[in-house]
Amino acid sequence: MNKPIIQVHNLTKTYRVPERPPGLSASVRSLFKPQYRDVEAVREISFEVEPGEMVGLIGPNGAGKTTTLKMLSGLLYPTSGHATVAGFTPWERQTDYLRRISMVMGNRSAMNWDIPPLDSFRVLSQIYRVPERSYQRILDALIELLDMEALLKKPVRNLSLGERMKCELVAGLLYQPDILFLDEPTLGLDVAMQRRIRQFLKSYNAEHAVSVILTSHYMADVTALCPRVMLIHHGQLIYDGTLQSLAEKLAPFKLIKLQLSAQVAGFQEFFQQFPSVELLPMEDGHHCLRVARSQVAKVTAQLLSQLPIADLSVEDPPIEAVIDQIYEEGNV
Amino acid sequence: MNHRGGWALIQNTWQSWLQHRGFFFLLAFGWMLPLLVYMLVWSAAAGDGSLGGFSQETLAGYYLMLILANQLTYPITNWTVGDNIRMGQINRWLIQPMSPLYHALSAEIAGKVVFMLFSIPVTGILALILQPEFDFSIVQVLLFLPALLLAWVLRFFWGYWLALLAFWATRADSLLALQDSFIFLLGGHVAPLHLLPDWLQPIARLLPFRYMSAFPVEILTGQLTSQETILGFIALIIWSITAIVLYRFVWRRGVRYYEAVGG
Repeated sequence: MNKPIIQVHNLTKTYRVPERPPGLSASVRSLFKPQYRDVEAVREISFEVEPGEMVGLIGPNGAGKTTTLKMLSGLLYPTSGHATVAGFTPWERQTDYLRRISMVMGNRSAMNWDIPPLDSFRVLSQIYRVPERSYQRILDALIELLDMEALLKKPVRNLSLGERMKCELVAGLLYQPDILFLDEPTLGLDVAMQRRIRQFLKSYNAEHAVSVILTSHYMADVTALCPRVMLIHHGQLIYDGTLQSLAEKLAPFKLIKLQLSAQVAGFQEFFQQFPSVELLPMEDGHHCLRVARSQVAKVTAQLLSQLPIADLSVEDPPIEAVIDQIYEEGNV
Repeated sequence: MNHRGGWALIQNTWQSWLQHRGFFFLLAFGWMLPLLVYMLVWSAAAGDGSLGGFSQETLAGYYLMLILANQLTYPITNWTVGDNIRMGQINRWLIQPMSPLYHALSAEIAGKVVFMLFSIPVTGILALILQPEFDFSIVQVLLFLPALLLAWVLRFFWGYWLALLAFWATRADSLLALQDSFIFLLGGHVAPLHLLPDWLQPIARLLPFRYMSAFPVEILTGQLTSQETILGFIALIIWSITAIVLYRFVWRRGVRYYEAVGG
């Protein structure tokens, strides 16, 4: 068993936020006697990440995901608790630490917008002291993997959002960091580009065994890339495990969709014999049944033997619905 | 220190600024105008005679040199420091294995080159028209160059520590405008120091603003005795060290505060 590359113990971040009621008199009063409120952005979270692991950090807006990533990258000083990443304390921001991590943010740019990406890459390679011999090799490999040869000579401001994201990824990976923090890397991208970025991250991780913590609001990112998810809500880590078991825990049912080859008289009444089955509204000419996981095999067998079935499928409920349920209820 | 990264950054910033050279040329032109206006005002006042020891020709020499010295020492990057802090751009710089100061310095050095592409030919043409009187000795030139460099150090770091107050206050750049006003009034811009009222001259010699652009020009145009030159250098060096100490102090406190409140 490898030693974890990221170890986080009881990490807490409390912000002091100035607060005042609306109105002029209140604003004058706050000049002389400002009032503050403590906001606990992250509360005593603990976890470990193994080398080469890809972990999804999910949660609603304001849950504390970005605060967590900022503490791990060294941008924020925690209120209490400690973290070790690659043997360093992140917020000391030692040069040797900064060379080993990369933070790619979907809503911020590492590129100079006035000049072609190649020039920005060259500067970054100098800042990170990438040896001249390896620079071209690393760059060529990334460019090929992202299929972006054509973008290299245009100024960054003339690139589309998706093309820019490709550049951000190259900028973040040029110096071959061991740890990658990805904050919403597919933000605002179209479906095809999202898929490209996901494919890239997957094959890059497979090849380089880089450890990744990824935040995203697109569940497709997480399902495609992260076997393990950490769910953070109101600053607390409320789930840490596989996406599959999260779904099972939260949605203890599956959906059976079926199409009949002939009309069945008393179709509704037929289901009264299965107390664990709930008949949902029809979708695209398919009947939908919600069935407890433990009953799925039994119910399916009886359906097949007793009804004229043309088509039948058993599906997990969409992960978005499951996640939405947690965001609403705030617990697992 | 990461000079390799810093040098690469300078080259890049330079290329990027050249993309906008029209904008920077206009800026440079804007900085020239008030100085040209005051040169014409004082020249008119001097007429064919002399005003406090200045003739029309020596006034033209002083102001043309001041235009160049002003542009070479003007820390344009200080104006964007506050924005970079407010908009979170500084996040990127903090997690790069290189001091964020390099980003400001690279823009400074790149900017000087771009401004000079405009200012040197324009002052050259003005010199042909105005026929200024220059009387440089080699000693004056040799003293002028380090004074100019130190003037830039002082002006840059003085503005930088003021700009870094943006860590706490959102509109700290109003302090930069105040600094510009002081330089304008007490830094030899509205009038050469010798033409200021008698009670104001010692104050102007004591404060840092004179040393940010006028002092090197006073050396070059032979307005100072050797004693005044030595005293001036002492003041310039003390103020430069003060500015660097203040910058380091404010930077450390600011980053610590930023790490606590988050960007």
